[in-house]
Amino acid sequence: MSAFEIEHVNQVFGTGTARVQVLHDVNFAAEPGTLSLIMGPSGSGKSTFLTIAGGLLTPTSGTVTVGGKSYAQRTAKQRDALRLDAIGFVLQAYHLLPYLTVADQFKLVDRVKRGGNLPPETLHEVLTQLGIADLLDKYPAELSGGQQQRVAIARALYPDPTIILADEPTAALDSDRVKIVGQLFKDLATTHDKAVVIVTHDARLTAFADELYRMEDGVLTKQSA
Amino acid sequence: MFLALKEIKKEKLRSGLIIAMIALIGYLIFILTGLALGLAHENTDAINSWHVQRITLNATANTDMRQSTLTSAQIADLTSKEAALNEVSVVAKASGKKQQSAVFIGIRKGEFIYQNLKLTSGRRAQAAHEVVADMAFQQGGYKLGSTVKLGSAKQAYTIVGFTDHAKLNIAPVLYGQFATAQQIRGAVGTVASAVVSKRAGYTNPASGTKTYDTQQVIEKLPGYSAQNLTFGMMIGFLMVISLVIIAVFLYILTMQKLPNYAVLRAQGIPSGVLVRATIGQSLLLVVAGLVIAALFTIGTAAILPAAVPMAFDLPLLTAVAAGLLVMALLGSLIPVRAVLHVDPVSVIGG
Ligand SMILES: Nc1ncnc2c1ncn2[C@@H]1O[C@H](COP(=O)(O)OP(=O)(O)O)[C@@H](O)[C@H]1O
Ligand SMILES: [Mg+2]
Repeated sequence: MSAFEIEHVNQVFGTGTARVQVLHDVNFAAEPGTLSLIMGPSGSGKSTFLTIAGGLLTPTSGTVTVGGKSYAQRTAKQRDALRLDAIGFVLQAYHLLPYLTVADQFKLVDRVKRGGNLPPETLHEVLTQLGIADLLDKYPAELSGGQQQRVAIARALYPDPTIILADEPTAALDSDRVKIVGQLFKDLATTHDKAVVIVTHDARLTAFADELYRMEDGVLTKQSA
Repeated sequence: MFLALKEIKKEKLRSGLIIAMIALIGYLIFILTGLALGLAHENTDAINSWHVQRITLNATANTDMRQSTLTSAQIADLTSKEAALNEVSVVAKASGKKQQSAVFIGIRKGEFIYQNLKLTSGRRAQAAHEVVADMAFQQGGYKLGSTVKLGSAKQAYTIVGFTDHAKLNIAPVLYGQFATAQQIRGAVGTVASAVVSKRAGYTNPASGTKTYDTQQVIEKLPGYSAQNLTFGMMIGFLMVISLVIIAVFLYILTMQKLPNYAVLRAQGIPSGVLVRATIGQSLLLVVAGLVIAALFTIGTAAILPAAVPMAFDLPLLTAVAAGLLVMALLGSLIPVRAVLHVDPVSVIGG
């Protein structure tokens, strides 16, 4: 069974002359154990697509099914719980809480989701891999953009979600870091059987894709991998 | 609380400023409350010390004990629950001391005011020219055995005892003999100004008198109600000002955090957590401010000269503090609304 499935999704913003159709009949399925990469230029609708996939935005038409049940069939609370437990969001704008140290960013998750988070050793491994293990006592303002982005990635992985949705997760990273992050996402898919979906215009990530898609003016097409 | 505490800890300057502001307002409110209560006490202490329920005055005295004149027929047939008293405003003088406005109250030996009079030192007045004086006289340099003259009269009175909490209309009381008060007053036929009773149902049957509940007489004390109203308004306004300050500060702090909150909402952190953080932050800041204000108030009370009319009543101050906490809760409502309406979509896509 697919981790989540998007069927015939259209997204329209605004009305009248301000009306823009951002997504056109988008169909997509994310499989466990697969890294799906959606490439597309800026403004093509990638973030909108990911927002709909994560249940934050209800599409103008079409359905999104997660774990056999559509978002429309769940209450707002249940969608919150689903995002907390099962979906790891790496947002394009990470907006880490400025008054929490890196360590506290994880503690906050512990306080809200009491069980099922990564055990300390695993977290430490992830942090080491991302090269931020020695930044635990730092506040976000003391970190570079790239470091913040990697903290945001670790934060999204910490609840051990089955689905990982990442929006431009490498925007602030140099090529060496891109390789590390790409490999990390790839391992999550292949070794840990996660369904990983990355939307990006960063071509450096294509090497890690199992499935490659293209988003162009709101139209999603599958590329031969 | 986790988020609230972390934020206060990180943003020490901001939080410190709000706490300082609340501490100052809280201190001002506490001091005003103390002053209001102190002045109220100085108006009513003597009456309160008698523990009476009803007060009979001349029907035409406009509920003013100072204006009331009663004849001997009007104070006849009193039971042991009643006492007659004669109140005269006087100016107390003694060589080498400042003049002091005071109230001479003549009381009868057989009646409960005389018998229940609590002395801090000395004894009760037994002879015509003996008086028991309020502690204010002692603070003014008088001692047991000191003499005092009243107005321009030649007669000297000897202070034979001191009593505490004997103030009426913000003036210290001199308790003397019933007949002496009549002499000082010099009004023919007038022997008393009031009959006070411990009985809730007491009414003086004599014509020309009217009997009131004690509270009615207190409300009519000159300036008393106006004073309480003024203080009440000042305290009320300060409460509203603190509400506005808390609301504005918290609103600004919260608005700055909305993008961060939007991300947390996108990550599935329930809005309840963020609401609790907002309310918790408000309460923590106000509690911290109140603790500082309370310490300042305690310090002030400790160094305050006895002559300053301030009284600190724990239940009353607690009620005021609780009022400020309610303001903190109310002040967090607008920011909480903003938190509840945070839209995770707003931060998606950068
Ligand atoms: N809430 C919205 N209202 C109106 N237009 C929007 C809104 N969100 C996104 N858009 C428009 O949709 C298009 C796609 O945006 P987005 O999904 O962020 O693209 P990408 O992530 O690929 O850069 C853009 O033209 C953007 O201006
Ligand atoms: Mg985008």
